[in-house]
Parts: sequence; structure tokens; C-alpha cells
Amino acid sequence: MMNQPIFHYQEEIDGLRDRFQFDFVSMALVQPAEDRFVLTWQFASGNINDRYKRIVLHSGKGIAGIVFKTGKPMLIQNVNTDIESRDLFNYPIIVAEQLKSLGAVPLWDGTRVMGVLLVGYRAENRLNKASFDIFQEGLGTAFGAFCAKEVSQP
Amino acid sequence: MIQMTDEHLSELLRKMYVNSMEAIFFIDEKGSVVAMNPAAESILDIEVIERMHAGVDDSFCQTCKGYTDEKDQMACSKCYLDYPKGDFSSFQVYLKTRGEGVVPYAASYHTIDEDRGIRVLMLLDLTKQQKTQEMLQRSNLLKYVIKAQEDERKRISRELHDSVAQELLSSLVDLRVVKYMNVEEDVMRKLQQTEVSLTRLLDDIRHLSVELRPSSLDDLGLEAAFRSHFKWIGKNYGLLVNFSAELSAARYGSEIETVVYRVCQEAVLNALKYAGTDEVHVRLCEENGSLQLTVKDDGAGFNMNYSEAKGTGLGLYGMRERAELVDGQFMLNSAPGEGTTVELRIPLSQDNKREADVR
Repeated sequence: MMNQPIFHYQEEIDGLRDRFQFDFVSMALVQPAEDRFVLTWQFASGNINDRYKRIVLHSGKGIAGIVFKTGKPMLIQNVNTDIESRDLFNYPIIVAEQLKSLGAVPLWDGTRVMGVLLVGYRAENRLNKASFDIFQEGLGTAFGAFCAKEVSQP
Repeated sequence: MIQMTDEHLSELLRKMYVNSMEAIFFIDEKGSVVAMNPAAESILDIEVIERMHAGVDDSFCQTCKGYTDEKDQMACSKCYLDYPKGDFSSFQVYLKTRGEGVVPYAASYHTIDEDRGIRVLMLLDLTKQQKTQEMLQRSNLLKYVIKAQEDERKRISRELHDSVAQELLSSLVDLRVVKYMNVEEDVMRKLQQTEVSLTRLLDDIRHLSVELRPSSLDDLGLEAAFRSHFKWIGKNYGLLVNFSAELSAARYGSEIETVVYRVCQEAVLNALKYAGTDEVHVRLCEENGSLQLTVKDDGAGFNMNYSEAKGTGLGLYGMRERAELVDGQFMLNSAPGEGTTVELRIPLSQDNKREADVR
């Protein structure tokens, strides 16, 4: 954790959005001890409002919460068919940004998930298994200070 | 009292027999019906009446389904027809009626002609009274269920807050102490990670406790409970709640506070789920001797006449029921494209005020 190079995540996610033509990209990070280690959305690209800034994520709840807890990527190809409309309010970022097709990957620091990277479209079925795989390939193993894949314990 | 001639009296009795709402049967020793008035005829099954008139079977048994005794709702043992000496001055009997199935009646049965063994059975329809009683019972039951739910939530919430969270906090403090002891760097790193997990777990438990029932509602009152709840809503769902409270007394009866809190919670959650907006206005004030809550959004709204519930449809019903518990008025106003307004008005009686003063 020492001598970390400074990463410009805003530029990074702007770049990702450009490269894969996403409508929306955002990044959630675990906050330092002063903020009681909560998980919040820190950076967003292509957002239509600032509602994401108000949201504090809970482990195991919502897209980022599930990815954070399980450490596994998650794909929702079509929000309208995959999530029951009465449950939709439990996914505030989807509602706030009107996402219809999205995926999220965990960001690792060693054996711990320290953040979540979310990418999405505002049209149904734009992101599917194949294109989500391509995105994960393209992302590579490192994203800023984090690993896109879990580093197995020595 | 004017002395009446026998003639006059028998005329009156005859009129009563013909016009009375009460069904009157004259029954002989064998349990056969010797006569019945028009009110009685109107309740019996047509088939039974035909059989009685034809003389095929004139026993009362074919229409009686039993009476209520100490052991059973509908019992046939120790039939009142066979035990004229028993006390049947007032009892409940079930009859098979015309087109309405088995209906309960209040009945009285006694001998009026000892020599010929004629007794009279008089019946009064009980369905209306029973319905009233059922409604009363249901509303009492609902009250009880809501109270039990609140009590149980309060208990679990307290338990989580006072014991589970406290224990966890002291472990966390211990863990922090260990960090200042001489430990290897890899142990230190693991400790830090554990501290992060535990801190988050502690927060989750606190949230759970508040979600069940905020202790601030019991300890500090409506305004404080609302403020922390709306803050939590904002964090969890990104919904902005504009809250304004203009209350003279800080506290009200605990039943009233619970109702206001729960109704508001439900209304805000509805706005969050269905209004498609990220701003809600909540106003709490006292006007004309009543406590008033207004929850308003400028969202999608819905057609009130054409009510196809988007959710379970229980939410609105529950809010109305809760409002009734404290004699409150619940009003809902909405139209497509014009947002939704929910209003709750609870009269503040002297009792409620007094309870507030005692606190």
C-alpha cells in the first residue's frame, strides 16, 4: 500500500466508457476508517444526475453489494425481465441512471474486494454474456491500484 | 294503564302474531309444529313448509340444526324439544333457512298450555348482531396483531442494539488494542481487514435494529425518529426527503407516534417505489387540535378509480387500518402525472395530551 502511484480514476472510467461505448460507468470504493469503511460510488461517467453520490452501499444488497460480497462478476442482461418491477427500488443505481442492461466486476486488493466497477447501457440487452466477457478481457488484470481478478493467497 | 277487555287483548295478540318480526312457532309434545306465524313461514325452507302443510312430516327437527350449549356451537344433545323442564328461556339456535343456509337465531322456548302440552318457540334473527360482533372482533384482533408485531419488533430491536451490537463493539475495541501491541506486519494487515469487516458488520446490525423499530421513536419522539429515518432512506436509495416539523409538544401517546411513523414510512416507501421521483416532501404539524402528516411527491401519480395495484395492494389497506386504530383520518389524492399526496389527521384528545404531559 506504500508508495502508491496516484491514479486518475475519473479519466480511467471515462476512457472505459469511450472504448466500449457504454452509456454509464461508475466505480464504488471502500472508504477509509473515518467514514466507517462504507462502500460508496466515488466516480461516475455518463451519469444523468448526481443521485449516485447520495447512495451508501450495503454489503449483499444491490448490484454492487452482491458483487462486493461474493467477489464474482455479475451480469444483468435485461433489467425489465430479470428484475421484478416491485423489487427494482432495491437497486437504486439502476433506477437513478435508468440502466436497462448492465454488469459489474469486483476490484481486488489482495484477497479482499475493495471496490466495484459497474458498466451499463440504457437500452435492453445491449450487454450480454459475450460482450461482458470481451469487456472483462479488455479490462485486463489490473485496474488502477486494484486487481480485476482475485490474487490467490500464498 | 288502561284496563283492556279480553276481547281487545286477544285482538292485539292476534295482530302481534301476524305482524311480528319475531318468528313464532307453536309446538306440541311430540315436537310437531301446530301453528306458525307469517314471519316464521318466511324463514323456513319451502320444501319443509310444503311437507308440514301436507302432513307428511311436521316435526320441527327437519329445520333445526342444533343449539349452542356449553360444549358445542351446534349441539343436538339434550334437545330443548325433549326437555321442556330445562331452562330454555334464552338460547341460540341454528336453523336451515330459505335461500340463506344455516342462520343463527336468538330463541326462547316455554310451555304456554300445560294441559295440551303446547309450547311456544320464539325466534329473533341474530345475523346482523353477529356481523357487528364479528367486525368488532376483527378490529380488536387487528389492533392486537399490530401491537404484538410492534412489541416483538421493539424487543428484537432492543436486543440487537443493547446486547449484540454492544458485544461486537467491545470486541472491536479489543481488536484495536491488539494493533498497538508488538505484532508482525502480516498479522497487522489481517487485523486491519478484520477491523474493516467488523465495523461494517456493526453498522449493519445497527441498521437492522433501527429498521425493525427505531429506539429513537420511543426515547426521543417522532421528529428525531423521522430525521434519522429519512437520512437512512437518502443513503440507501438516494431519495431526498424534505422534512419539516412544526410540533408544539414533542411527544404524543405511544400508539399515535407508532401509527404516524409507520404510515409515513409506508407512504415514503410507496413514493420511492412507484412515483419515479427522487424527491419527497414530508410535513408534520399540529392544526385545529389534530396531528397532521402530509407526504407529497411530484412523481408519476396514478388513477385512483382504476386501481390495479402495482405492489401487493396491502400497503394502502394497512395505512388505513392503522389510522383507524387511533380514530385518525387517512386521505389519499393522486392523478396520473400530478403526483401523489397522502394525508393523515389524528385528533388529539385530552387523553393523548395528558399522556404527553406525564412523560
